[in-house]
Amino acid sequence: MIDKRLFRLPGTKKLLLMLAGLTFLQAFVILFQGKYLAEALVNSWKMKPLQTIILPMTLFAAAFIVRHFINLINTKVVESYASNTSEEIRSMLLDKLYNSGPQMISERGTGNLVTASLDGIDLVENYFKLIFTKMMNMSIIPPVLLIYIYFQDVASGITLTIIVPLVILFMILLGYAAQSKADEQYAQYTVLSNHFLDALRGLPTLKMLGLSKRYVKNIYTVSDEYRRRTMNTLRIAILSTFALDWLTTLGIAILAVFLGFSLINGTMILFPALVTLILAPEYFLPLRDFSSDYHATLDGKNALTNIFSILEHKDTKNTDELEPLQWDENSNLEVNNLQFNYDDEDKNVDASLDVDHLKLSGYHNIGVIGKSGSGKSTLIRVIGGFLTPEESSDIKINGKEIPHFTQRNWQKELTFLPQSPYLFSGTLADNIAFYRPEASQEEVKAAANKAGLKDFIDTLKDGYKTMIGEGGRGISGGQQQRIMIARAFLADDRHILIFDEPTAHLDIETEYALKKPMEQLFKDHLVIFATHRLHWIKEMDYVIVMDDGLIAEQGTPEELSSHQGAYSDLIENMRGDQL
Amino acid sequence: MNFFKTFKHDTWVKPYVKQYKGLLISVLILGFLTVFSATALMFTAGYTIDKAATHPYNILLIYVPIILTRGFGIGRPVFKYIERLRSHNWVLKITSDLRTRLYKTLESDASFFNERHKTGDIMGLLSEDINHLQDLYLRTVFPTVIAYIVAIIGSLALGVFNPSFGFFVLLLCVIEIVIVPLVSVSIESARRERQKALKSDLYTKLTDNVLGVDDWVISGREKDFKDLSAKTISELDSSKNKSKAFRRYRDFILQVLFTGIVVVFIIFTNLKMTNGQEQANFVAALVLAVLQLSDTFVPVSQGFEEWPQYRDSIERLNTVKPVDQNLPEQVELAPEDFNGIELNHVNFEYASDSPILIKDFSQKITKGEKLALLGPSGIGKTTILQLILGDLVPQSGEIKVNDLNVQQIQEKRETIFSVLNQNPFLFNTTVMNNVRLGNEDKSDAEVKQALARVGLKDLIDSLPDKYNTLVGENGSRFSGGEQERIALARILLQDAPVVLLDEPTVGLDPITENDLLETFFDVLQDKTIIWVTHHLQGVKHVDHVVFVNDEKIEMQGDPRDLYKTNAHFKELYEMDQGLTSES
Repeated sequence: MIDKRLFRLPGTKKLLLMLAGLTFLQAFVILFQGKYLAEALVNSWKMKPLQTIILPMTLFAAAFIVRHFINLINTKVVESYASNTSEEIRSMLLDKLYNSGPQMISERGTGNLVTASLDGIDLVENYFKLIFTKMMNMSIIPPVLLIYIYFQDVASGITLTIIVPLVILFMILLGYAAQSKADEQYAQYTVLSNHFLDALRGLPTLKMLGLSKRYVKNIYTVSDEYRRRTMNTLRIAILSTFALDWLTTLGIAILAVFLGFSLINGTMILFPALVTLILAPEYFLPLRDFSSDYHATLDGKNALTNIFSILEHKDTKNTDELEPLQWDENSNLEVNNLQFNYDDEDKNVDASLDVDHLKLSGYHNIGVIGKSGSGKSTLIRVIGGFLTPEESSDIKINGKEIPHFTQRNWQKELTFLPQSPYLFSGTLADNIAFYRPEASQEEVKAAANKAGLKDFIDTLKDGYKTMIGEGGRGISGGQQQRIMIARAFLADDRHILIFDEPTAHLDIETEYALKKPMEQLFKDHLVIFATHRLHWIKEMDYVIVMDDGLIAEQGTPEELSSHQGAYSDLIENMRGDQL
Repeated sequence: MNFFKTFKHDTWVKPYVKQYKGLLISVLILGFLTVFSATALMFTAGYTIDKAATHPYNILLIYVPIILTRGFGIGRPVFKYIERLRSHNWVLKITSDLRTRLYKTLESDASFFNERHKTGDIMGLLSEDINHLQDLYLRTVFPTVIAYIVAIIGSLALGVFNPSFGFFVLLLCVIEIVIVPLVSVSIESARRERQKALKSDLYTKLTDNVLGVDDWVISGREKDFKDLSAKTISELDSSKNKSKAFRRYRDFILQVLFTGIVVVFIIFTNLKMTNGQEQANFVAALVLAVLQLSDTFVPVSQGFEEWPQYRDSIERLNTVKPVDQNLPEQVELAPEDFNGIELNHVNFEYASDSPILIKDFSQKITKGEKLALLGPSGIGKTTILQLILGDLVPQSGEIKVNDLNVQQIQEKRETIFSVLNQNPFLFNTTVMNNVRLGNEDKSDAEVKQALARVGLKDLIDSLPDKYNTLVGENGSRFSGGEQERIALARILLQDAPVVLLDEPTVGLDPITENDLLETFFDVLQDKTIIWVTHHLQGVKHVDHVVFVNDEKIEMQGDPRDLYKTNAHFKELYEMDQGLTSES
């Protein structure tokens, strides 16, 4: 029911101690509440005047109010713990994301991480709120009340004691039955429940196929089928709640009957009987609360497990092995036996990497080509320090050995231009100045002009202050790439440019227009350029042909095109027949 | 109050309450009976022991209350069980109706889909909204109405014995289940609104953190990365903490008020019901019964509190309205009679204040012709396809199929046009079902044959479930190229004379793209094709290429002629193919 890792979270032990104290108090207040109410009622039953019940009644009311006041404090303590702890977890999650985010994303996808850090945290907070209080209530209140009831009337005590294991047994049995029934239907169930959204998203397609009008009937039929199945499952699923309710109310009914007989026989007087009857529902209450919100608890638990598994992801260590570096025309980078293996080969579009030998130096332009899934991206992302290669890999920068490329001082030399640039929510200027947030407005403008953004920015009402990114102005793919190029121009203290198919999504004329500023950018930089757009090869001094994670061929374009090797084969395949 | 404003023009909640009336009433009655049994259980139990304590001579005197106690003890869980089932049943029935209606409404409005991109995942939102309405009923409406029924019937019953006491109790109940909830929702409403805004801001920022993590790491701005969401989080937390504190105090006050109600009953029973032992035997019964009602009354405020989020859903659903298509009289055009499409001086703009997108565009496409449409993104290439289809109507100029205005053949449009776009939609069902959507009258053999023609036979035969393989959500079981092929097979079954291709190969690598284009133009040989594309790969397949740029046609002609005569085309083509240019 509860994850042991929970107890390792800061503040959990203190919280449990406080809760235990408060719940203990609460249990006694509930006792008093019952006791004094019974006293008042017994006096009324004896037809005594109002004065005789004022004191017990006031004490009852006071106990009732104190009970809920303790509850208020209890909730406050739990809620502040839940909110602090879940924010703590969120912050750990962000740390983890910064330290090993790129690698994690390649393993788990982005969706998982966004969900975990947002909805996941909410679920976890709710879970914290529910689980501790419920556990405490269940383990403290019923025993305290039960002991008191035993002192009042042993037979009632026994009755109440026996019901609890019965309730638990029934709930387990029924819960199990419901689970197996639900599992049986699960696959079809999810299809049915997503059917409507699927149909809405597919509506344009249905329209094109001339089916959209006829499909209305299908929407209703499927939705109704879903209802039918839900009802079938629900019938069994809520049986366990029913059993719990049934046993507890029946327990109270039986108790009342027993008490009645004892009273008639004269073996008991009214007061203990009434106290027992009043306390019986209170005795069962924590048990009933425990079984409610079952789904919220389960969701929260799953979210927490997911987050814990993210937090346990291994961090890349030794990120400060490299001295401050300034890449220039004499610098060089040499790798031997560079290997990287994806954990789950099937989930990744790109191949794992096994590079025998590679040496890059100075301000050369290095093209990386290969068909999709050949390991181009993996190579680029290993060099960018986003993925950590196997330890056996031998990597040297200017002769200095380093364990991997995830070096702060290496990454400070890099500019990365991906296939689908990510624009941050913020102004256009913020996005251009992403690598150098302290850059002056003039510097930003100069960079934008070099990237050919001037005309575009002039058409914007707010100019450089235009909000872009999420929720901001939609920007075409070409302009997005220009913003990236401007960013790279501005970051002139970085001397290595890594491109990952930057023009794959662009139309030919936009690409044509982008070529000039990009060539300008190449100057005085080491350029590593993964692409399947062939015309870029002309700008390259050296080409690496990737195939299935291996370097199939490397050399200058002239060398490679002079014979029928991997390079020539690939280019023929990519070009297809000419006009 | 905004509550009434929301419902004034509402057509998504009010009309449905009247549906399945019998079921709805039974839900409310059962809900009432559940509460009634719970209180009656304690009432009869209290009476039983009070009566027993008077040591009646005959045990039969407490026989009736004992039976009743058992009866109510069983009644409560049984009623509750049935009530939960029935209320879900009612809500799910309503859901089926609402879904059908939402679908019909959206179906009538083709232009809706053009705006879809602006508002993100509007489909997801609307379908969520319907789920919110389910919660509105189950978590707010039913509990509230049941609490009100209990309060009214309870006070009336008391009023029969003692009118002024009944009235007084009713007053207390009104404070507990009407006034406090209303005050609560009006105080919390603004805060909830703000929390929602903060939350969406936080979502944006965390998305920036996750999706932009590569850039953050390279930039070395670790502190900025951490600080990005910090401010929003602390604002959200402080607002949420206020809500939580408010809720704690409100619930406490509700309990104090409830204590008041119980105390009033204790005093009342002591004063008015102690005139004889028989009467006094009912004292404990009444007080214990009242004590059970806190479970019914306190949650009403919580139900009210969720109102703002339901309001948003109701308001959004109400913005979705059916659109009158205003089509001219429809004419049936047999597919085999199709002989060409003509666009004459077409002008189009999305709204009067937005720039004119298509300016004086004319083009003639004859039967069997293959035409490629090129141009930078955002220039309106897709818009031209929508105009040809008749989904959009030009402000001036005309679009004709044979001699007919395209608006005249909308009813049976699918017999003339098929469309294949960059993310063909596959339904989350089997491959076989997906392809058969092209023409539901086709046999299994014909579906298989179509899949073989598009080159998927070997792949599908290698799958364990073969043609019954589920394609997954959005076709995720298959790669982009394979999804295109499945959609192509669907079009083959549809067998319309005109095929519109809207950048079907964007994002695919050149080798996959080449193979796919070969297949397209091979299996669609005898069709008229209008192909929007973003570069020149595969342009050899077409007879005519049109470059649109800046509201006008930049160049057009047979690609082979253009290559010889047009320097710009030559330059672009060579760049695209990576051929060495002489310059």
